[in-house]
Amino acid sequence: MGAVEGILTGFEVALSLEGIMFVLLGVFVGTFIGMLPGLGPISAIAIMIPITYGMNPTLALVMMAGVYYGAVFGGSTSSILLNAPGISGTVATSFDGYPLAQKGQAGKALAIAAISSFVGGTISVVLLMIFAPVLASVAVSFGPPAYFALMLLGLTAIASLSEGSTIKALIAAIVGFMIATIGIDPQTGTGRFTFGSANLLDGIDFLVIALGLFAIAEVCFLVMNRRKKSVTNGKDIGSLKLSKQDAKEISGPAGRQSFLGFILGILPGAGATIASFISYITEKRIAKKPEEFGKGALKGIAAPEASNNAATSGSFVPLLSLGIPGSGTTAVMLGAFLVLGVQPGPMLMGDQPEIFWGIIASMYIGNIFLLILNLPLIPYISRILTVPRPLLISLVIMFSLIGVYAISFSTFDLYLLLAFGVLGFIMRIFAFPAPPFILAFILGGMMEQSFRQAMTSSGGNISVFFTNNISLVLIILSVISFAFPIIRNLRKKKAH
Amino acid sequence: MLKGVNRKLGLVIFLLSAGYLTLSYNLPTYPYIPVDADVIPKTLGWILLVLSIALFFAKDQDSEEQKARRHIPREDVKALLGVFVFVFIYITLFETIGFIIMTAAFVFFCSWFLGYKQHVVNALVSILFPVFLYSVFVFLLSINLPQGILPF
Repeated sequence: MGAVEGILTGFEVALSLEGIMFVLLGVFVGTFIGMLPGLGPISAIAIMIPITYGMNPTLALVMMAGVYYGAVFGGSTSSILLNAPGISGTVATSFDGYPLAQKGQAGKALAIAAISSFVGGTISVVLLMIFAPVLASVAVSFGPPAYFALMLLGLTAIASLSEGSTIKALIAAIVGFMIATIGIDPQTGTGRFTFGSANLLDGIDFLVIALGLFAIAEVCFLVMNRRKKSVTNGKDIGSLKLSKQDAKEISGPAGRQSFLGFILGILPGAGATIASFISYITEKRIAKKPEEFGKGALKGIAAPEASNNAATSGSFVPLLSLGIPGSGTTAVMLGAFLVLGVQPGPMLMGDQPEIFWGIIASMYIGNIFLLILNLPLIPYISRILTVPRPLLISLVIMFSLIGVYAISFSTFDLYLLLAFGVLGFIMRIFAFPAPPFILAFILGGMMEQSFRQAMTSSGGNISVFFTNNISLVLIILSVISFAFPIIRNLRKKKAH
Repeated sequence: MLKGVNRKLGLVIFLLSAGYLTLSYNLPTYPYIPVDADVIPKTLGWILLVLSIALFFAKDQDSEEQKARRHIPREDVKALLGVFVFVFIYITLFETIGFIIMTAAFVFFCSWFLGYKQHVVNALVSILFPVFLYSVFVFLLSINLPQGILPF
């Protein structure tokens, strides 16, 4: 079956009454669960698996795909409104989304996120349709050295994420990396920095760090400004109005970063998080006014949002074409396939084309539903920021605490959350930026594993990183990416 | 010697990195492993140590806004400590007393403590919000939150 014939079959499934209903249901449930504290796409898909028992596999999987990208989108809402990213893929969205919301333009921020997600989702589905069979083989050719180099490239964002002092940004990143080393070492089984506590054997969860450094630290500043009004300009808070200039401003980043997000999404292990960070720094670097980033730049919301949604579709490439889950979320998704008696992989396209193409076609419709469902809700959701500060503070703390408890069921993690909140507050007082910390924490663990795997496979020979073409190119790019902003800063200082 | 914020911060981070390095050098190592569990921590520890020295000798370049941010009025310190005490009590009693009661009490008293005067609205939000979240998590999503002393 050719691609054109295949996609027509897919649309037959997706545009049937049942197809439309299940896509709509999936997108709605996904967005709702994604907005809840602590629950991201993994929990959303896992929760939905029992509901699909006995269902038609095609419709069930079409619904699950909707749950997946709906939850990714839902996660950006708390990032923008409360500076409380629920999943790692939406951390970069909070860098500019939250400042814009604080300026009284929460509706605009959410609308840009929705539109960019739509653009990212749609462009990536087209790419998925065209390149799925070919790209899968590229993803497989990425070995540990190339992964290490990719993570390194992601980490070079630190140089761009430093607002003032580069030394402080580097210190924040190293401490973030150090936190990532806590727990059992997966290669040797050695407990590192656990101080004999069983609670630390699994390491520290991402959500504890993200909500501590961003949400709880922000709460501290809200407490200090508790007598001020919730937002500086509450009049247009829910307004979705985008001017022609705004639309023009976000169209470039949303378009460009959709391609980048899709490519990074295909690579197992990279996914939405790296995609969103790399997209954010790329836009910051090519922007005419990079100093606006971090203060509510529209491009700073459009880029990571388009990218993380495109990466979500990209992650379906290895899953559908090879049966390999590239992330925790797609691993749960693979579970859902198996529960329904569907074996994803090279044979899927030939044996069950209605499933393969049905999922792809449903994504077109799902992205439209995501936009239609969410845009009308934005004015109401945005009003959360008009809640009086004392009440908002209590609710954000509660939101963060439940978020952490719902994934770990441990009060120890709640104390840790509090500790990281204090750390985040101290860091902000002394001008240590939090983004490099969280970036290094997320990438550090993966980077260490790839490095050690590569070294083990080469018998301890470090030249493995330079003899592999992909890794060599990525390392050269990393060096340029790291050095460029530092040299630019030094030149600026000299000029002054 | 310790004049200037960067010098003080540099010293604190130097001590932290020294502590981390000590722990890293105490990690067990195994033969025939090209990169053992201690290699990355040791590398990170040394990099942090070097950075702390660099920070120690770096000039303070804080903006006026940054300087102002470091000055926290005594009243705000009290408010921050108060909120942390509330959170601490909430976490400690959360599993014993239960999600609904503790969350309702936390939201109500914390908002009151921070100066929210509309007690009726406060009470309504404090009760309805946890009940709604508890129902969604427990009954809809089958994610158990502590029921504590309540029978449901």
